[in-house]
Parts: sequence; structure tokens; C-alpha cells
Amino acid sequence: MAEALDHHPGLDSIDGITHALQGVGYHAPRQLATSVFLAMRLQRPLLLEGEPGVGKTELAKALAKILGRPLLRLQCYDGMEQREALYEWNHTAQLLHMRAVQDRNTPEDIEREVYQARYLIRRPLLQALQAPAPGAVLLIDEVDRADEPFEAFLLEYLGEYQVTIPELGTIKAQAAPVTILTSNRTRDLNDAVKRRCLYQWMDYPERERELAIVQSQVPEAGPALTEQITQFVSRLRSMPFVSAFQRSPGIAESVEWAKALVALDTLMLDPEVVQDTAGILFKQREDVAALLPLIDQLLQPEAA
Amino acid sequence: MQLGDARSGKLSDNIVGFARALRRAGVPMDSSRIALAIDAVRLVGIERKDDLHAALKAVLVSRQQDIEVFDQLFDALFRNPELAQQLLAQMLPQVRQGQPPSRKARVQEALAAAKTPSDGPRKESEVQLDAAMTASDQQRLRHADFATLNASEFRLIERLVRDVPLPLPPVAGRRTRAGLRGQRPHWAAALQQARRFEGELLWVPKRERRPQALPLLVLVDISGSMERYARLLLAFLHNATRQSPRAVFAFGTDLTDLRPAFRHVDTDHMLEAANAQIADFAGGTRLGASLASLRERHARCLVGRRTVVLLISDGLDTGEPAALDHELPWLKRHCRQLLWLNPLLRFDGYAPLASGAQRLHQHADGMLAVHNLSRLEDLAAAMARLMKR
Repeated sequence: MAEALDHHPGLDSIDGITHALQGVGYHAPRQLATSVFLAMRLQRPLLLEGEPGVGKTELAKALAKILGRPLLRLQCYDGMEQREALYEWNHTAQLLHMRAVQDRNTPEDIEREVYQARYLIRRPLLQALQAPAPGAVLLIDEVDRADEPFEAFLLEYLGEYQVTIPELGTIKAQAAPVTILTSNRTRDLNDAVKRRCLYQWMDYPERERELAIVQSQVPEAGPALTEQITQFVSRLRSMPFVSAFQRSPGIAESVEWAKALVALDTLMLDPEVVQDTAGILFKQREDVAALLPLIDQLLQPEAA
Repeated sequence: MQLGDARSGKLSDNIVGFARALRRAGVPMDSSRIALAIDAVRLVGIERKDDLHAALKAVLVSRQQDIEVFDQLFDALFRNPELAQQLLAQMLPQVRQGQPPSRKARVQEALAAAKTPSDGPRKESEVQLDAAMTASDQQRLRHADFATLNASEFRLIERLVRDVPLPLPPVAGRRTRAGLRGQRPHWAAALQQARRFEGELLWVPKRERRPQALPLLVLVDISGSMERYARLLLAFLHNATRQSPRAVFAFGTDLTDLRPAFRHVDTDHMLEAANAQIADFAGGTRLGASLASLRERHARCLVGRRTVVLLISDGLDTGEPAALDHELPWLKRHCRQLLWLNPLLRFDGYAPLASGAQRLHQHADGMLAVHNLSRLEDLAAAMARLMKR
């Protein structure tokens, strides 16, 4: 997308991308910005892996915003097929058409007519390939949820930005879409997929970055409360507390929590309010139960 | 060697060298990736170390577990290239020869410890198990745990695999195909069919759900009391479950991931690889702790409540029994069926009295005997019955 970047003079450096993303409320660490920069310049898909709630999907949305391109989202699920991801013929319309013209036309004519583009239902992958310049941002979300045959099907798209439809031939991208794949690692992806992508592991953010995120997402929360929230959550994610829980809260949870606390008119965290809102940070009964005895310890001011 | 050299020839040399070093350290690497890395570094420039680091990482690494290796190697190379070069020169023979023997020695120790004769019930088990085989097998089995299969064992396993198909029933998957039964019409097939009869639609094919193999999670106890069975069971499972997606773990005092070993096609290679991996062979059993580490590290082996879990253990747990009260219900919640394959079930009037066995009995969907290889046929039948429920 070297040519696409020409439309956005601000985005031709890593700093430019960091700033632009910040402008739409996404605080990317420099490492991530570098990967994004490379993905766009080298025209490679970017595979983001990480725990739920660290901002994988949000990155795609933010990218679409700063590039001014439409975001096409393909949510993967088990058993997804080509007809949901790529294209499907509108068979009902084809049948009707066939019945209508069958007395007048030769079979060859009919065949040619029913395989026209207007009977083609375009799904996200095909839409992304056919998006007019400057192209689109394609988000292939939670690719680990689809099954392995689907990964194999993605290979042609990821490698060449093209797909082959038997009846129509090969369709190549007019402008290579910026492609983001996300995975929660519910299973390992095939190496063939990985080697076609740039890879970025997304971790929980350091405290300053999380502070900035919560501040920009929930400006209503006072600075003191925001500070307390991020400190509490980052302590939760660090030793020795983290071993008590099955799953640490992500950024999405901290933001949700901040919103909830604002809605409850909280000015400062206290054990009672943490206890009441624990269900926002943790979604497992065992984790909520494990949090309760730790609250006092977590709320203590940091030892210098 | 200077990484900061601006002349591109030298720079690409260094990147190639770095990538090759990564490959030697076990990171998957191919030449297209290296070419891409050179492009990436040209784009990012070498003014800032952290950018260079991020760029190379994005291109050269594609698994979380490789990130640490990358970081360390990058640091070493960037700080002191000379030293790193020396290190790398040393690493090559080490990786090739140094590591495997050192690991094997551990296993050998464990194996040696396992060979000391033990108490009464074990003796009996030997007799029981060996009754299924010829007399010559008896001697071999007593001494050679996890050795490669001898010819008669190989034939035995082959026969068992052929005769005893593990009855994992296919379930209706989420994918569909054209068929007779189903809710929605399969228009694509209808159209194809209509074309054959000059556009006449004689019948409408339906979207039928495609059958799909159930994923399998096998947990094999390799503690002292189970060592008689573990090897041949592993060999049997290795052959019998080729068709289904499977994850195999061995547990004694800790959990060992045997999936890399099970990727070998040849059963002997599998056993050799398992030898190299298992460090706690014939020790105690800490079922609770092993299940906890399954939950923490490998929970993604349990696929959407479809997985059938085969827990092969005698239930003689030396760990904390309370841990089982927590872990077993968790396992049960996350799998389709939890089957306990128990070699102690051969005794008439066996009752699960040991605390571990009691809990297993309480939580498992079924308890099946596996003490004797000839009973594998019964196992198949019993499993078929249980799966239908």
C-alpha cells in the first residue's frame, strides 16, 4: 500500500502512525506501530495474537478510521464456509431466471446468463478485494475459531490478495486491502498461515499506557480515580496476585469498570465498591471469589 | 560484525546471519521470511534500536513461545556482536548434540529407578497383562519399558488397531453438504441437478450437516503403579486414533505434553520421542496438580465441549485430594465425556476406595477396564455404549 500511503502523508513513518492512532483514541506502543507500518508498506497481513480484551479488534477499527477506508469484518466461527466468507451464488434468482428463459434460449446461453455477476452475493473477502481505491481494511476476527480447512482456504487470499471462483476466474485485488487477523489462541494456527503474515503478540499494556487509554475512553472519571483503577488492575495482573485468577482482566474490562464506577458516582475506590463491581473485572465465579479476600491488599498504597 | 553498518550489503549479511541463528535456536524460518526482514529493515531504518527490534520481531517471529528466544538473541547480537558470534558458533554443536543426551540421561535415570521390583499387586498385574501375550513377551515386557516395539508387539498392536476400532462416533459438524435430510434446501446442488434434467427440478437436495470426528484428549498416568500399561497403551492409541484430532498428555508428578511425540508417524519414533520428553516416569501421581497445569497451560485442547477425555489411571493419587474436587468438575464441565480407563478394575469386587479413585469414580462418566490388552475389545464395546448415552 505504498501508493495508498501517499494519500496520507502523515502515515509514512512510525511516529506518524502512532500519532494518527492516538488521534482516534488508540494508544499503540511503538512496537505495535512498527508492525502496522510494516504491514502497510510491505503489503502483508498482520496477525495479532493475545489475551481477550487487549485491543486487537479495536486496532482494526482505529486503522480504518485513520486511513479513511471502510472496515469489512469477517467474524470467524466453527464451520464457516466459503459461502459465508467469500461469495455465494443467488441460487433462487438463478433458478427463477432459468425457468423464465428456458423455452427461448439454448442451454449454453442460459448457463452464461445465470453465472453473471449480478447473481453473485459478495461476502467480506470478496468485498475487500473488489473495494474501489483506496481499498478497504479487512478484519478477519478470531480466526482461531474457524476450523483448519478454512485456514487453508485463506492461504490464497493472504499470499496473493486474490481468490479463484471457478465460474468467474481469478479475482485480484484492485488495491491490496489492509488485512488484520486476530486470534485468541484457542488453538494454534497453521504455520502456512503464519508465514504469510507479520506477527504481533499483544500483551497487557504497561500502566502509563493503560492510564492514557482509560483517560481518553472515560474522560468523566477524575484523574485520581483513573490512577487508582489502573493501579489496581495492573497489580491484579502482576505477581503475586495474578496466580490466584484464571483470567486477568483486559483493557476492555478496565474501561468498562471505569465507566461503571463513574455511573455509580464513585470518587475513590473502596473495598465495598470493588466488591460490588467485581463482576465487571472477572467473568468467572471462582475468580470473583478469589478476588474478595485480596481486595484490601490490592487497595493499599504502593510501598515505595 | 557491526549491525549498525549502513552499507546495505553488510546489513543484509547481518540480518541473514541473525535469522540463521534464530533458526538454529529452533525458531521456524524460511528464506522468504529473511528476504522480507531485509525489506522491513530498509523501510524502518537502523537509527533506533527499538524500531529495528520491533521490525525484525514482526517479520521473523510468529509464535509467542519464540519471543523470548528472539529478544535474548537480539540483545546479545546488538550489544556485543563478537561475543554473540562466538556464542552462536558454540550453540551449533550444542543444539545438535549437547541437549538430547542430557535430557535422555534424566529419562534413563527415571527408567533405572523404575526397574526395581515392587510390592505384591504389581506382580499380579504383570501376570494379568502378560496373559494376553505369548510367553516370550513376558520377559521382554518386564525389562523394557518404553523401548521400541519388538516384532511380535508390533504385530499385536497392528492386529489390535485393525480389530478394535475405537468407537468414537462422528458428530454432526457445523459444515454442511448436499444430502437427503436437513432443514434448508441446498440450492447449489439443486441447480446442478436441474441442469441435468433440462431445468426440471425433480427434488430439492437438503443441506445436511457433515459428520465430524470428535476431538480426543488422552491423559496417561505414567506413575510407578501404571508403568506396565503405559507403553503399549500409548502405542495402541498412537495407531488407533490417527484419524481423529487428538492431544495426548502424560502425567506423573507433573504434566508432559506428548503432542510433539505423537506427530511422528512411526510408533517407534513416537516412543523414542516420548522417552526424551517424559522426565517423571514411574514416580508418584499428582493428579490434581497435573490437571491444574492442564487447565492453566493447555485449556485450549478442550474444544468447545466436544472433546472426549480418556483418563488412563489407577486412581492411586499421592497428591492433595482436595485439588481433585476442584479440577475434576472443571474438566467435566469442559468436555463432552470423561471416561476413566482403570487397570485395577480387573479385580472382582474392586471398589474405588482410595481417595483419588473415589473422586474419579464420582466425576467420571464411565469407568472402563483396560488391564489386559485382550480386554481392549470390551473397551471398544463399552465405549460405544457410553458414547450413545
